[in-house]
Amino acid sequence: MRSETPLLSVRGLTVTFDNFTAVNGLTFDLFEGQTLAIVGESGSGKSVTALSIMRLVTLGTRAKIAEGEIIFRQPDGSTVDLVQADEAELRKIRGNQISMIFQEPLTSLNPVYTTGNQVVEAIRLHQDVTKAEAYQRAFEVFERVRIPEPKKRLKEFPHQMSGGMRQRVMIAMALSCDPTVLIADEPTTALDVTIQAQILGLMRALQNETGAAVIMITHDMGVVAEVADDIVVMRNSKLVETGNVYDIFENPTAPYTKALLASIPRLGSMKGKPEPEPFDLVDMEAP
Amino acid sequence: MADPMVFTSSDEAAAMPEVDPGRVREAPKKYQGLRMFMRNKAAVFGAILLLAILFVTFILPFFFSGERTERVGSIHLAPGAEGSTTFGTDYLGRDVGRIVMQGGSATLKVAGLAALMIVGIGTTVGALAGYYGGWVDNILMRFTEFFQVLPGLLFAIVIVALYGPSTTTIVLAIGLIAWPTIARLVRAEFLRQKNLEYVKAARAIGSSDARIIFKTIMPNTLPVVIVQSTLVMGSAILFEAGLAFLGLSNPKDLSWGFYIGANRSYFLSNWWGVTFPGLMIFFTVLSLSLIGDGLQDAANPKLRGR
Repeated sequence: MRSETPLLSVRGLTVTFDNFTAVNGLTFDLFEGQTLAIVGESGSGKSVTALSIMRLVTLGTRAKIAEGEIIFRQPDGSTVDLVQADEAELRKIRGNQISMIFQEPLTSLNPVYTTGNQVVEAIRLHQDVTKAEAYQRAFEVFERVRIPEPKKRLKEFPHQMSGGMRQRVMIAMALSCDPTVLIADEPTTALDVTIQAQILGLMRALQNETGAAVIMITHDMGVVAEVADDIVVMRNSKLVETGNVYDIFENPTAPYTKALLASIPRLGSMKGKPEPEPFDLVDMEAP
Repeated sequence: MADPMVFTSSDEAAAMPEVDPGRVREAPKKYQGLRMFMRNKAAVFGAILLLAILFVTFILPFFFSGERTERVGSIHLAPGAEGSTTFGTDYLGRDVGRIVMQGGSATLKVAGLAALMIVGIGTTVGALAGYYGGWVDNILMRFTEFFQVLPGLLFAIVIVALYGPSTTTIVLAIGLIAWPTIARLVRAEFLRQKNLEYVKAARAIGSSDARIIFKTIMPNTLPVVIVQSTLVMGSAILFEAGLAFLGLSNPKDLSWGFYIGANRSYFLSNWWGVTFPGLMIFFTVLSLSLIGDGLQDAANPKLRGR
């Protein structure tokens, strides 16, 4: 396996909402240039994990990071525990070194500013550049995420764009400060299949260009097979199985992973059957 | 389309020898807010009415010589009567038209300043309460309710009676009683907006609380605030008029409310002394309401391009 030190190391992360435990003792590592997929059904704690890394989970909710540490290696080589870091430190990391793409491109852009202004703002939050320079940079990232006619698009409001285009703007905004970690929380769930393929292809190409590590949160095994190097399977707030994506797809060890993989319909698998058959319940306790 | 703005832009395009098709399409976009406003005929009427009132109040007086308080004829002359003026004379033989013309300057100044103060306090308190929630919200909302349950006019009368009827005290009195409505509206908007994804996204790019409150969420609450502030300005005018009617204003200003109060004893024989200032108050408040309605359409970018 890899011998280098991880870029982001989550150790025994536990997140609670009052009496409910949303994430329970989750541990995984993320290495430079790696694409890690966190998969699991709804409510398994994937999104809470992502928000915990950004420390956005405690905002306006009763959530609390009860235990664990999230060690992040900054570009200058120093490490910081994101669980203990204060707001000012976090603000320097958010958007600059770790950025995030959300599920709903339709609502994750501010409706009253042009898309260009929003990217410019993200750049100027972290870099000491003039407005004109920031605009030039915004233009470049728009080109990088393959937005046609970037000059015109920079001046458009979010409601003038389609969902796929807005998700590109979100990706542009996330990449504008060259982050080392990109967290994508179900980035293609709200998009239709052809746009999904485009966005996934784009993200993979961008990852090759920038060398950023990506955490992809999804419940779609097709997406995992498409983009991931490694995979973390979660269920009921716990880690079920982790490993290389080929190993897991070929040889899943945990019964839940087996069931999860078996649930993907294959062409011809329903031959001669009038309707899909229900699955046997997997033992809730066994991992 | 029979839209005037479209004609303007295509006129521009026709003036250029080589027409770039992209430009013709682009040009009207800049004025979309204005176009939405222009489409609302009532709002356009309101805007014209307000401009006319502002013209009459602040510019027209320069075309007249002499003091407006000078006697111009005998007392209680009806409009158009022998030796009278267009709008008649009052109980001291002064020209009602001249006095009403300038009577708006004090009223509009007080109402404008009070509306600024109301919007200022209201949005700040509402934004902080809505954004932070919890105990901050609790304390600020109890504070807001305290001012909301005060009987408005009575409280204003007490303040003005205690500290004397100067512009400052009247503005403060009106400002203090009217801000809770805006605070509650802005708080409600913040409660709704702060959980939307774009706010989470703003935090995810590293925005601070102050930036999120004032730059990210505040502009999204503006449609509500703008509409409400035009209505607030209307009610501030009514408040000022009410206070002045009761004699709680600077008598030298001879504002509309004060003038109605002064003429009310002669109402049965001299209808013009109270009617003209009353109509001015009515039209001013009406114009502000109509404008508020039009602004609501114009300030909402989602309605544009429809």
